[in-house]
Amino acid sequence: MKHYRKALYASVVGLLAVGVSACGSSNNGGSGGSSNATPKLPLKAGENAAAEQIYGGKKGGTLNVLSSEDFISQDPGGMYFALDYAVGYATQRPLFVYPPNSSDTLAPDLATAVPSTSNGGITDGGKTITVHIQPNVKFSPPVNRTVTSADVKAAIQRLFNPNVGNGYASAYFNNIVGAANAKGGPISGITTPNATTIVFHLTKTDAVTVLGALSMPGSSPVPANLIGKYDAHAPSTYGTSFEAFTGPYMIQNNNGVVKGVGYQTGKSMTLVRNPNWDPNTYASSAYKPPAYLDKVSIQIGGDPNVIGPQVLKGSDMAQLDTPSKSTVHQAYTQYPSEIMFTTAAGDHYMTLNNSKGPFTNVNLRRAVYANLNREAIIRIKGGVLTGSPGTHFLTPGTSGFDQAGGYAGPDYPWNKDTSGNLKVAEQYMKAAGYKSGKYTGNHVVTIVGSNNGADELAINQDVNQDFTQLGFKTHLIQVDQSVMYSKYCQVPKNAPDVCPSGGWLRDFDNGLAMLYVPFDGHAIVPTNNSNFGLVNNPQINAAMDTARYTANPTANAQAWANVDKLLVQQAVAVPEDFDIQPNIASGNVRAVDDIWNEGSIDFAFTSLK
Amino acid sequence: MLRYITRRILWGIVLLILVSALTFILFQVFPTTDPALLRAGRNSNQADIQHIRVELGLTHPIYVQFWDYMKGIFLHFNFGYSYYSQASVTSLIFNRLPATISLTVGAVVLWVVMGIPVGIISAIKRGTFLDRASMTSALTFVSMPTFWLGLLVLYLFGQVVGLVQIFPGPGSYVGLTVNPVKWFTSLILPWFVLAATQAAIYSRLLRGNLLEVMGEDYIRTARAKGVREGRVIFKHGIRSAITPVLTVLGIDIGGLLGGAVITETIFEIHGIGLLNIQAINHSDFPIVQGTTLLAAMFVIVANIVVDVAYAYLDPRVRYS
Repeated sequence: MKHYRKALYASVVGLLAVGVSACGSSNNGGSGGSSNATPKLPLKAGENAAAEQIYGGKKGGTLNVLSSEDFISQDPGGMYFALDYAVGYATQRPLFVYPPNSSDTLAPDLATAVPSTSNGGITDGGKTITVHIQPNVKFSPPVNRTVTSADVKAAIQRLFNPNVGNGYASAYFNNIVGAANAKGGPISGITTPNATTIVFHLTKTDAVTVLGALSMPGSSPVPANLIGKYDAHAPSTYGTSFEAFTGPYMIQNNNGVVKGVGYQTGKSMTLVRNPNWDPNTYASSAYKPPAYLDKVSIQIGGDPNVIGPQVLKGSDMAQLDTPSKSTVHQAYTQYPSEIMFTTAAGDHYMTLNNSKGPFTNVNLRRAVYANLNREAIIRIKGGVLTGSPGTHFLTPGTSGFDQAGGYAGPDYPWNKDTSGNLKVAEQYMKAAGYKSGKYTGNHVVTIVGSNNGADELAINQDVNQDFTQLGFKTHLIQVDQSVMYSKYCQVPKNAPDVCPSGGWLRDFDNGLAMLYVPFDGHAIVPTNNSNFGLVNNPQINAAMDTARYTANPTANAQAWANVDKLLVQQAVAVPEDFDIQPNIASGNVRAVDDIWNEGSIDFAFTSLK
Repeated sequence: MLRYITRRILWGIVLLILVSALTFILFQVFPTTDPALLRAGRNSNQADIQHIRVELGLTHPIYVQFWDYMKGIFLHFNFGYSYYSQASVTSLIFNRLPATISLTVGAVVLWVVMGIPVGIISAIKRGTFLDRASMTSALTFVSMPTFWLGLLVLYLFGQVVGLVQIFPGPGSYVGLTVNPVKWFTSLILPWFVLAATQAAIYSRLLRGNLLEVMGEDYIRTARAKGVREGRVIFKHGIRSAITPVLTVLGIDIGGLLGGAVITETIFEIHGIGLLNIQAINHSDFPIVQGTTLLAAMFVIVANIVVDVAYAYLDPRVRYS
């Protein structure tokens, strides 16, 4: 996904460590030592996201939502940001969706079933996907008519239109026949034999990827007869000049015009009930949004240090973006029933330049890996409530995570000790040719880190210290986070030796969505590159290729777990943490959070008590 | 006088062009994010990024981009479109301006009403307990950073979050035409926060100026001629002492109209300041450029008004 929760998320530290580390150490085997046991969050009532009851709420009322961050896009084809998703999934109906309390099991939304080989939805060895859609779903006014397969086809075709600015179509839908050169026009590999059936013909056995990607908002139908005139503009004006909705809610609009009506840029957004939404058009009890709330009123802007106490002390409120560190501390200690923690929130890792400099040597990388004190980084960020030590690159809740070793991770000597092990590190320094166990070369290791906040600076210092401990001479450059990415880490020709602040957040439940872009050589691009470490290992590339085109879902998960283990075995980067995301809501709000979307509040399931 | 004003306005336009050019250059030269990368997704391909660059006009030479931008402003009053939201910068700015004007005007009235009398009384009662108490209070308020004072008053008196919940809390601002009573009450705390520090500065400034002026020969002459003390102070003393205060007032008003960033953020008042800080966070150059120009324009206009006011206040000042 495009954005992490920003610097605020990275700055949840300090007070948390002091206040809750005592709680954490009593029942969290992963903090304060080198244990790699499965960490357990010191959860209190209401905090177990996976066990949340998503039904049983009370109908009615207005939820007031506060967010210091603004939305980026209201166009389902263009949205690629956690906050946008919170609105997108309440107002649109993609083909599939993850229920709020699941991060790895798809449920049908607009579709009547999730295709599989057993129900005949996936055929031809995984090269053909047949999806049937609900027959009686209608667009909101003023369109008012029934959604057809042609509208879904139009939605996916337009993802390739540069005017729509979609950030993932070429990565996930590139194996649809005819998609390779698509620019928004017809794609021959998408056929609609009747009004409720859509068939995807693939060039390779990529059904698992495509199914997962069809859970993203881009598969939400758009009026095929109208969309052309909006997409002709650069950028597309769908989502600003006009938008049609299919979900239980819609952005308040005037004949489809959203901007200036239900959405005031940087100020507010209002969601109201979609009069054409029918709750009886869902196939599965696993996902059947009850839409308890009458209205959602979102206020944008403001200081997160003020928003947090407003929500905690107020009523009928929730915060949409990441609460500040002081708010998390306050919520955890004084309002424990008003905070929820989600573990499926991405990860962070330190990247090492695999293509030039000293870290082309795998043993040097293993040495650095062994020596990095991941526990210290967790403590800097705020302790057990902000994350658990990273031990590989698939995150909790993603298929393949358990097969790759779970929280303990793959069993390699350099991965065992999450608080760093200098002795093991020195062994690998020696294996790299440095007999003394310390680096004696002439290269000065360039480390480019973010200076957005005290925590980032502390992490940079901690990382720097771990390198100097191994004898490296370092040059630490600390710049604004956006500059770190856009001028250094995301630009291959300027790539430094080390970027301490790499990380990723999955787009859907599949190893491809976590591992391909950051670690496959084919994903390296001259700008906006997300493979910071310029990892281009033929063995890894081939393993990813194999995993992607493994048609059986169970085998697919195992194949990605094998890729994950290979990444650790090659020490291409050093995992720092599995992120944990906090979210808050007032005491009288029965908040249901999407654990697959960083725990963002799900408006279609949330209610007032 | 008319020639003077005309000349000042023309120089003001030149200054605005220079400010705009400087902002443009700074944004291009100093490390910042590429707007095209900001708009593109993390998995976007190079063709899409290039398409966005063309769409935003970023592929033209810098001087062409600048020329197009200035043409848009002067010929069409068009400040361009936000890189982040594609919204018209002109409409965004004018949508936010009433909130900033409300905040500024109220705060200015409050700090002038508080600061000027305190400064006068302190000067007249120099050395007394009243003087010392006033100046100590002034020093206290001057020392308080706006963000700290803002949070303090919120946590003391704001609804929902405060200890004694008297005043509306953050996010309660509504426009004057929507609900005048709610408009007024929602601005009491923000006005106080802005006015407290400024009133303190103005009282100290006026006190110092007035003490200096009251020692002048012409003041002694006026007293010697039997002019009442009150008239000596108000007609002769303050009239001279207030001109530097007026200069500062002009700059302050101009600056505030460009957005009181911290106050607007803390109290969630959607004014120019909050718009600006959001734009800076998103590297949204068109908005930053637009708000910078607006702030510069307000400062220039305010200074012209102040200079004209000088001519009426101080007979020694004549423009030719």
